[in-house]
Amino acid sequence: MHTIEFSINGEALTLLVEDNQTALRVIREQAGFTGTKPGCEAGECGACTILVNGKPVNACLMLAPELDGKEITTVEGLADGENLSVLQQKFIDHAALQCGYCTPGFLMSATALLNENPHPTRQEIVEAISGNLCRCTGYKRIIEAIEDAANSGTKKIPAKKTKAKGGARK
Amino acid sequence: MKEITYIAPESISEALKLLTKHKGKAVIFNGGTDVMIRLRENLIQPDYVIDIKRIPGLKEITFKKDGLHVGCCATMNEIAEHADVRKYYPYYAKACASVGSKQVRNRATCIGNIVNASPLADSATPLYAMDAVLLIEGPEGKREVPVREFITFVRKTVLAEDEIVLGVRVPYIKGAKGVYTKNSRRKEVDLSNVCATVVRTGDEYRIAFGSVAPTPKRLEKTEKLLNGKKITPALIEKAKQTAVTEVAPIDDVRASKVYRLDIVQAIVENSLLALGR
Amino acid sequence: MTQDGKYTEIGNSLPRVDGKAKVTGAAKYAGDYYFPRELWAQVVRSPYPHAKIKKIDTSAAEKLKGVRNVITGDYYKKRGGLYLADKNFLAYQTVKYRGEAVVAVCAETREIAEEACRLVKIDYEELPAVFSPMEAMKKGAPLIHPDLHTYRVAPIFHPVPHTNISHHHVLRKGDVKKGFRESYRIFEHSYHIPHVQHVPIETHVTTALYDTAGSLTVWSCCQSPYAVRAALADSFDIPLNKLRVISEFVGAGFGSKAGTTIEGIVIPLAQLNPGRHIRLDYSREDEFENAYVRQGMYARIKTGVDKKGKILAVENEFLWDGGAYTEYGVNIVKAAGFAGAGPYNIDNIATDSYCLYTNHPVGGPYRGFGMCEIHFAIEQNIDMIAKEMGISPVEMRKINGLRPGDTTNTGEVMKVSGYQDCLDTVIKALDYNRKSAQPKDKHKIRAKGIAAGWKSPSQPTDAASAAIIRMNEDGTFYLQTSAEEIGQGSNTVLTQIAAEVLNVNPDRITLTSGDTTANPYEWQTVASRTTYCAGNAVKLAAEDLKEHVLDLAQIKLGCAKRDIHLERDDDHHMTWVVATNHPENRVPISTFALGLTLPDGSGIGGPAIGTGRFVLPNNFAYNMEDSQSPKPVAFWTIGVTGAEVEVDTQTGHIKVLQMISCFDPGKTVNRALYDAQVEGGMIQAMGTAIFEELMLKDGRVLNKNFVDYKIPTADDIPERLESLIVEYPEETGPFGARGIGEPVMVPGAPAIANAVANALGHHFDHMPITPDDVLEVVRGKKSKSKAKR
Repeated sequence: MHTIEFSINGEALTLLVEDNQTALRVIREQAGFTGTKPGCEAGECGACTILVNGKPVNACLMLAPELDGKEITTVEGLADGENLSVLQQKFIDHAALQCGYCTPGFLMSATALLNENPHPTRQEIVEAISGNLCRCTGYKRIIEAIEDAANSGTKKIPAKKTKAKGGARK
Repeated sequence: MKEITYIAPESISEALKLLTKHKGKAVIFNGGTDVMIRLRENLIQPDYVIDIKRIPGLKEITFKKDGLHVGCCATMNEIAEHADVRKYYPYYAKACASVGSKQVRNRATCIGNIVNASPLADSATPLYAMDAVLLIEGPEGKREVPVREFITFVRKTVLAEDEIVLGVRVPYIKGAKGVYTKNSRRKEVDLSNVCATVVRTGDEYRIAFGSVAPTPKRLEKTEKLLNGKKITPALIEKAKQTAVTEVAPIDDVRASKVYRLDIVQAIVENSLLALGR
Repeated sequence: MTQDGKYTEIGNSLPRVDGKAKVTGAAKYAGDYYFPRELWAQVVRSPYPHAKIKKIDTSAAEKLKGVRNVITGDYYKKRGGLYLADKNFLAYQTVKYRGEAVVAVCAETREIAEEACRLVKIDYEELPAVFSPMEAMKKGAPLIHPDLHTYRVAPIFHPVPHTNISHHHVLRKGDVKKGFRESYRIFEHSYHIPHVQHVPIETHVTTALYDTAGSLTVWSCCQSPYAVRAALADSFDIPLNKLRVISEFVGAGFGSKAGTTIEGIVIPLAQLNPGRHIRLDYSREDEFENAYVRQGMYARIKTGVDKKGKILAVENEFLWDGGAYTEYGVNIVKAAGFAGAGPYNIDNIATDSYCLYTNHPVGGPYRGFGMCEIHFAIEQNIDMIAKEMGISPVEMRKINGLRPGDTTNTGEVMKVSGYQDCLDTVIKALDYNRKSAQPKDKHKIRAKGIAAGWKSPSQPTDAASAAIIRMNEDGTFYLQTSAEEIGQGSNTVLTQIAAEVLNVNPDRITLTSGDTTANPYEWQTVASRTTYCAGNAVKLAAEDLKEHVLDLAQIKLGCAKRDIHLERDDDHHMTWVVATNHPENRVPISTFALGLTLPDGSGIGGPAIGTGRFVLPNNFAYNMEDSQSPKPVAFWTIGVTGAEVEVDTQTGHIKVLQMISCFDPGKTVNRALYDAQVEGGMIQAMGTAIFEELMLKDGRVLNKNFVDYKIPTADDIPERLESLIVEYPEETGPFGARGIGEPVMVPGAPAIANAVANALGHHFDHMPITPDDVLEVVRGKKSKSKAKR
């Protein structure tokens, strides 16, 4: 067991976690952010994509104790209260989601992309989301939603700041 | 996943002590993209997981005139996006960028890829082609092992249980040009069914293939055939014929042996044509 | 509808009503519910494809700390199944496929449950196994269900006793012998379609609670809560009023979450642990092997044509690899039997469609319900005949494609048929008649291909739907149905239908579904029937409520209800009830929410509730001997897909450059969602055409993970992916609509196959068409036939 301190969607959190649990399970089952979805638990489908210090990773391939000291963003952290992020709104406008199960993962990959590269080419968009599988949409509308968000001059979506503590533990 | 104890040492010496103390019962945890899968499927059952990512200095990527140094915790994306790697070793950058997804590459490391010793490791063939050298530290001190001697068989290396690979040095050869090719069923997020790096320096060639033998492999006969000669259609044809005698691919769910042999020839031809220009 | 007869909602692209919940992570799927002290179930699975269970030793597992129960098939012997009662939730006496659930464990944590599974010892005696429908057909083949003749079966299916045939579907139309006699040429072609998997990104998850008051609640990711409730009630002898199935959002189904798959394993465990929640999650590996798979199929088509290319006779045979249990699969085999000659006007047809037990994973419904598989054969067959006859594939389809007044395979006269218009539309959009411009790279060849397809809902002729709509005090509404939102957009479309009838803004309506306690009956969310069936029920419910409002409005406004209409006022977020001839005489619709208060203070009418009951009005049983009927199905949805591909002759890779589809949805309720369905269907079809196959060897699935079972990524989609439309209203559909969810996938794979054939001059008799296959042809060898029997 490890006590970890990290920030998630701007909130500081201290949790006691089992060493053999994945970050995915802890985020869902202990922290309660069930928007992060399990799809394969093998790093192949991208449904559990979260941002770790701003970078997209598969939460299923990360051990829970690794969260210590990190800044985590999940899909629940994208909207500002009731106000959706530009990307979230564009996904709705373009009918870029159907069953919605893969949608959080796509939003996280796309958010990271636009933060890093506000005006990506279509090819850069495709590369950024090719680690996210969707079985419903055929992807076209997802690509268009991201293009549209980029063209709308979406501002960088900052990871909500609360300085994460932790990291001092051995 | 079975019960494990996770430890994140903050120095190399601390990590080495842990490996010695728990010899045979510990696994080094770096990007984790392979170890996690193996833990989940109970293919490995260590008691201790030693996460080396909190050790300072292991993420460094530096380029000097004698070559490139890549620290063991540098991720595939960090390597692929590094300005010097892109400038001096574009084929190596491309190889690292071809691994898995963006999410995986934010975690996976090149050294992890090499230590796994998969025959189809995407980032191995550039290192094979460049005769890269691995820097290893153990209780007895440091040693250097050429990557071509490091991997001995499928998932087998010369690394001892109490040693850590700290990084890799890739020699710099002025004027060297290279081509990396990956052939897979799907272009994005797939394993290679054949991958290769061909490097040309003047009229010398270095040809390394992956997924065609139990380890990545240099095609020395083909290299010899080509060295010092002008590339002509006839020579390319001969090189293709020689190349297939040097590889021994297998049939599996990803591709047939015959298919892989065709792809080996296609890659030899395309690479030589590209480098000939 | 406005006063001048224009729709206010139907045909709009209303943004999804569930959009906000889905982009914020607020939408709850079955796996998102966690409960205090819940118990975790895990399953021990068979390592053999066919074996007798000799002995099960659970003692070590039971002793493990934290283990609550270990149960085997002996604990619950009753067989169940949707159409044919052939399946146990845990194997009883024999195992029939590799991966079959044999023992279920429940424990305090999932790790303990997994560990307990490893401690269960099972002695098996291997039995001879059957791995193809041809082997299964052979005389003397090992019988997988020796007691088949004793199983309960729906009367429209015909298991053949003491064989592996669980259904033999027969269709006879006209006189095929005569048709062939009169034919100028006769062609015979064979095809093979492998097993594939649905691959919803959400794997199956279920939680069950048997509460201490004796009621059972199941949180399930299912397409059809009522069908699950019925099956579970029957299996476990639980009264329907004590069984609640909750399934709010489903992470896609494509058929894999129709019927029951996983729930039956946890219910006995729940019954053993009153007051505790029991949960079972399928891993991705489970999903590939132990959820439904799409059945494999072997097709043979014999076609007789006259000199001009008119098809005079078709004789075809489909052998379906139904797997170990075919409780649902038999109906797919029937659907293929109904539609087996395709959307063509053919006078003489003889179809035999066989469902065969094999020791393979369990076959079940998959988007298209057999149509994707048979059309891969039918539509390549059309192209191959056209080429051999020296006429164009377009001409061949123009000559034979269904027109209004033609008769279907089952003898029904088509009142409407969009076939020819869809064909013309796609030919034009793809510029099919102009050859592809070839790229500079000498290794690359481009070509185009087309294919058509049709599908009808495969549902009982009396399948029923219900809806309830309630007005709240403020003039907002609750719309209750049990149509399941599985991604197709039913919540949005049904909301639009109610909004249209009541002239209210859709954001004034909240739809609830996915809970059998709260919402009224719906047969199933399958068969591309929801817009049509649930849509009709919702329309009737809204009309019923409207009638109620108008009855009271007569009194309030002092005029006859024929002179009263509803008027939407979006500026004021409300709807008025207006006296048409004196528009200033109006009241808000909310006036009638709780009935009407009369001047003397007394009230009448009561709360405004509308109910809608819909049952297929005009479907008739078919004749068992020949499948003929004046109207055996609700409707046929028809469409055409065109594709352009680029084949790399050096690496064998196929890149799909364009896919364009045109379908006839009768009347589009929501254009954006229609287009989205069509696009998704095309890409799913593309996956099967060039990537997907569940590789089976001796009953073992070799690629039950995303490492080796590849579905398309964003990188694989064509540059041009386009959805077009023609609209011939469906007589009995709500506003003329018919279903499209499945049909849109049907012609995709054969369109790609025909394009590849046009590039290489060779038709592959199987899918997927892999790089290996392509290079084999490039090397000049004839490609290996996988359709050989």
